[in-house]
Amino acid sequence: MSVKEKLQELISEAKEKISLVQSVHELNDVKAKYLGKKGSFQEIMKLMKDLPNEERPMFGKLTNEAKQVITNYLIDQKQLIEDAKVNEQLRSETIDVTLPGRSFEVGKKHLLTQIKEELEDLFIGMGYSVMEGPEIEIDEYNFEKLNLPKNHPARDMQDTFYITEETLLRTHTSPVQVRTMLDNKEKGPIKIVCPGKVFRRDDDDATHSHQFMQFEGLVVDETTSMADLKGTLLVAARKLFGDKREIRLRPSYFPFTEPSVEVDVSCHNCNGKGCNICKGTGWIEVLGAGVVNNNVLEASGYDSTKYQAFAFGMGVERIAMLKYGINDIRSFYTNDIRFNKQFK
Amino acid sequence: MKVSLNWLKELVDVNITIEELSTLFNLHSGEVEEYYNLVEATNLVVGYVESKEQHPDADKLSICHVNIGNEVSQIVCGAPNVEKGQHVIVALPGAVLPGGFNIKSSTIRGVESNGMICSLSELGIDKKYHHEEGIHEITVECNPGDNPVEVLSLNDSVFALDLTPNRADLLSIMGVAYDTAAILKTEVKLKEISLVEVQKSNPVIIEIDTDKCSSYYARVIENIEIKDSPKWMQARLIAAGMRPINNVVDITNYVMLETGQPLHAFDYDLLETGKIVVRQANENEELVTLDNETRKLTVNDIVITNGSKSVAIGGVMGGLDTEIISTSRSILLESAVFDFYSIRKTSNRLDLRSEASTRFERKVDPNRTLLALEMASMLFGKYANGDILKGVNKVENGDLTEKVITVEAGKINKVLGTNYPVELIEETLSRLNFKHTLENDLLTIQIPTRRQDILTYQDIVEEVGRIQGYDNLPTTLPETVSMGALSPSQLVKRKIHTLLTGLGLNEVVTYSLTSKDKVLDFVSKDEQHLLSEVVELMMPMSQDKSTMILSPIRGILESVKYNVARKNNDVLFYELSKRYTKEEETEVLCGALTGELSNVLWQGKKEVVDFYTAKGIVSSMLLELGLSHLYFEATNDYSNLHPGQSAYIKDRSGIVGFIGKLHPQYEKANDLKNVYVFELKIESLLELRRPLKKVKEINKYPSIYRDLAIVVNKDVEAQSIKTVISKTGKRMLTDIMIFDLFVGGNLAENQKSIALRLAFTDPKRTLESKEVDERVKEILGSLEKQLSAVLR
Ligand SMILES: [Zn+2]
Repeated sequence: MSVKEKLQELISEAKEKISLVQSVHELNDVKAKYLGKKGSFQEIMKLMKDLPNEERPMFGKLTNEAKQVITNYLIDQKQLIEDAKVNEQLRSETIDVTLPGRSFEVGKKHLLTQIKEELEDLFIGMGYSVMEGPEIEIDEYNFEKLNLPKNHPARDMQDTFYITEETLLRTHTSPVQVRTMLDNKEKGPIKIVCPGKVFRRDDDDATHSHQFMQFEGLVVDETTSMADLKGTLLVAARKLFGDKREIRLRPSYFPFTEPSVEVDVSCHNCNGKGCNICKGTGWIEVLGAGVVNNNVLEASGYDSTKYQAFAFGMGVERIAMLKYGINDIRSFYTNDIRFNKQFK
Repeated sequence: MKVSLNWLKELVDVNITIEELSTLFNLHSGEVEEYYNLVEATNLVVGYVESKEQHPDADKLSICHVNIGNEVSQIVCGAPNVEKGQHVIVALPGAVLPGGFNIKSSTIRGVESNGMICSLSELGIDKKYHHEEGIHEITVECNPGDNPVEVLSLNDSVFALDLTPNRADLLSIMGVAYDTAAILKTEVKLKEISLVEVQKSNPVIIEIDTDKCSSYYARVIENIEIKDSPKWMQARLIAAGMRPINNVVDITNYVMLETGQPLHAFDYDLLETGKIVVRQANENEELVTLDNETRKLTVNDIVITNGSKSVAIGGVMGGLDTEIISTSRSILLESAVFDFYSIRKTSNRLDLRSEASTRFERKVDPNRTLLALEMASMLFGKYANGDILKGVNKVENGDLTEKVITVEAGKINKVLGTNYPVELIEETLSRLNFKHTLENDLLTIQIPTRRQDILTYQDIVEEVGRIQGYDNLPTTLPETVSMGALSPSQLVKRKIHTLLTGLGLNEVVTYSLTSKDKVLDFVSKDEQHLLSEVVELMMPMSQDKSTMILSPIRGILESVKYNVARKNNDVLFYELSKRYTKEEETEVLCGALTGELSNVLWQGKKEVVDFYTAKGIVSSMLLELGLSHLYFEATNDYSNLHPGQSAYIKDRSGIVGFIGKLHPQYEKANDLKNVYVFELKIESLLELRRPLKKVKEINKYPSIYRDLAIVVNKDVEAQSIKTVISKTGKRMLTDIMIFDLFVGGNLAENQKSIALRLAFTDPKRTLESKEVDERVKEILGSLEKQLSAVLR
């Protein structure tokens, strides 16, 4: 048998053996058997010394080629073994991805806070500051400085929770406006919004609550106009109820503003065509507003010949009820988690 | 104010529908609550009952042959008052009556019936306006086939104005007419008043002995005939929502509705003295009013007297003694102006609101006081056949002059934000019937006395704004340049919301009013004196909402209870609220936790809330707020908290809040179980924050960790172990983490084992094991010496 034939035989023998190997460990044994210090090739190399010099290079070349072939077989088989192993691992690790995840529950801010913050952010973006104030107020700030003297018809004792003759639970956040104007030492321009709890002496039912949240705004400057009020409220209405909303101002009466208006927003439910939410009119009354009465400016030390102001006020519960179709104002204070968690 | 369109049309031309007019009123004048046709029915005709026979098979039915104009119809009628020879209202087959009631030809007990003879109620006229049983007999002149709605003057539409307190002028048809004319750009047509007096002079003597009655006008009308008022007048009253009574009452009401000036008619004979003295009532003076109630009066009420006794509460209600009755022959007709505030106080105190007091308390037009008297007198002549005695007797102190307001057209535009030409503003004033002059830009405007609400130029701005229409206002934004930002405390509150919701808590909002006996529920022993500082309402609506809270925890627990009772067992709530005392309002953050955290039903994963969960949530929040230096110290100062599971949350300067498990007895009393609560003062959180000022270098050298499990007596607090360790560990010791607590097993009953991991680091070099072990040895030595702690 020539060397060449011997190598051929070795290669085909190795090829078969290698192809049967199933593990890397076994493969190393096979590798040692052929290529190791005591392996088959060492045996063959021993034959070289019996060859004439001129045949040795050829012998060397053939042997190296054979080694290379076997090495490649080993590499390929190793790859096959590893692939099979990975595939097996993947198979065994396959899971039902439709089973539920282990969730981490994130809590929710109360809907009133969500709407309050949405409005705050909107107005902060337009340069307003957010002002807060006490809920236990003096009559002077809650009424008198707002053009509601003691004998005023709009000031019904029945609607107010009095604590003493002169102190009460504020019935609106307007006293914060008064305080801001009084505190403004330079009597300069003001741009504020005042969110907060207010109280009315009402029996609680689906549409009345003795405690609710108000969101008011006040702008005082030399050129502040009714048109500015309209533009501002249009921005707010669109933020709350959608970009397509329009607003409508209707004459009304509040002691602290003159002119006074009720503000309607075109119905977000029917786009103004008329539905049961808007009682067929296409419009929903959402807030009251107006140009601040000069008596109010003067009572807080502002020169009404120099300054003009507008103010507006809305009930946050009412906004939320309209926006989400909530029928009972008490839902905000019951705190049923199935209710509270819905609002994201 | 319910406004009859027909009535309005007597004073101003209206060529649009009630719907269009209502829309315009909404936009330019005041809110229209509703509008409707007075009679909402079709296919009605006047019928003449030619015969009436008994129905053969029904006792209570009759068969009528009714001439309906072009034919005679047979109609079965159930009303007992139908008679031959009556003119009646017939609903023909095909008619639809109010409530969607369809009339069809039918056979009633075997007899054909082609329609229905109607009562007024069946036409939608409420019974309170007519008190009629059975069908309505038409008594005005008419012919079969006529439209009975027209014959009865009920072919009217009504719109109901929801009036704001300032627009007293709209409490009269005349006032509504002026606004309508302004809106529609047309003119008000004033009615002619012509009355014929008899020779005999008005003998009444009038005195006013109070400053609360500025003028008093009176006429005496003799020989009146008390009867029903004419149908057209009744229809007007019904449209306005008032019940027709008799001609005297109806005329005074009619004139009041048209002019806004309340009138009162006394029986002149029963007045006895021929004298009227207006004065303040005597304290405790009594008067029986028309509604047969005895009213006890005070010196603040105005009374009308005959010189010796009271006969009416001025401007509010007449007295029973001088009431017009069917036998009355002469009347004294009063038209006066009373002080609005006095009337309001009297009607409030007596809880007696009349159409008269409603108008007086909003101020009447002093220029219509005499007009109303004359209009009514004319009607008494016409519809009560009365003899109007010569002359109006009066005391007249009222201010009848028109107020003058000046304003620059430029100022009107500046406030509105418009560019209305001065001509347009002048035209607007003319439409409102405000006389005015213009000099340069300055308008001098005379305000008619009917508009008592117009006091300053701002009111003029409103008139121009509303009549031109707010739809015509541009939409601009304020020019004021200003920075908007949340204040530091508002930012921290926002951060608290973010942190706590992120940690799985849900925000609640609860009521700030509670019952006084619960107000101290979560106030410590040291603060019980706050009971004398609580804020109590003068007139609470109920005892459970009488006092402002000292802590919202009680209210949050109500919400917890509500949820647990509905099987919402996992409740993690927080609220940002306040403590209210007479002295101050302080903001607090409170929470209540019970059940499981991040409840995952499958694979049995559970994290049941216990003290350490609650504490962990609070600590995590404090850490993120820069408040990791706050510490917890066991307390039993809260009577409704578990004395072994509650702690103050403190800073070296004092108490910032508390945390604890509800006391088992409190839980039992409130149907709650395993509820943990906490409270923190927001102000303290803000003050004590230690915000990061400079970045800390990340250590380049690795830390060396050592785990220790030590056994100590059970009452040794983890905090003191940490203190000993950190003192002995010195700078090299950079962190102490407690990771396990063990009791029982082979430990003695009074022992516990705590496992800690200590981290040692040096920022400048790699520490050697040996030096760390040395330090650990020292630590163990200190622990043993100071806390009798031994290595487990
Ligand atoms: Zn709608």
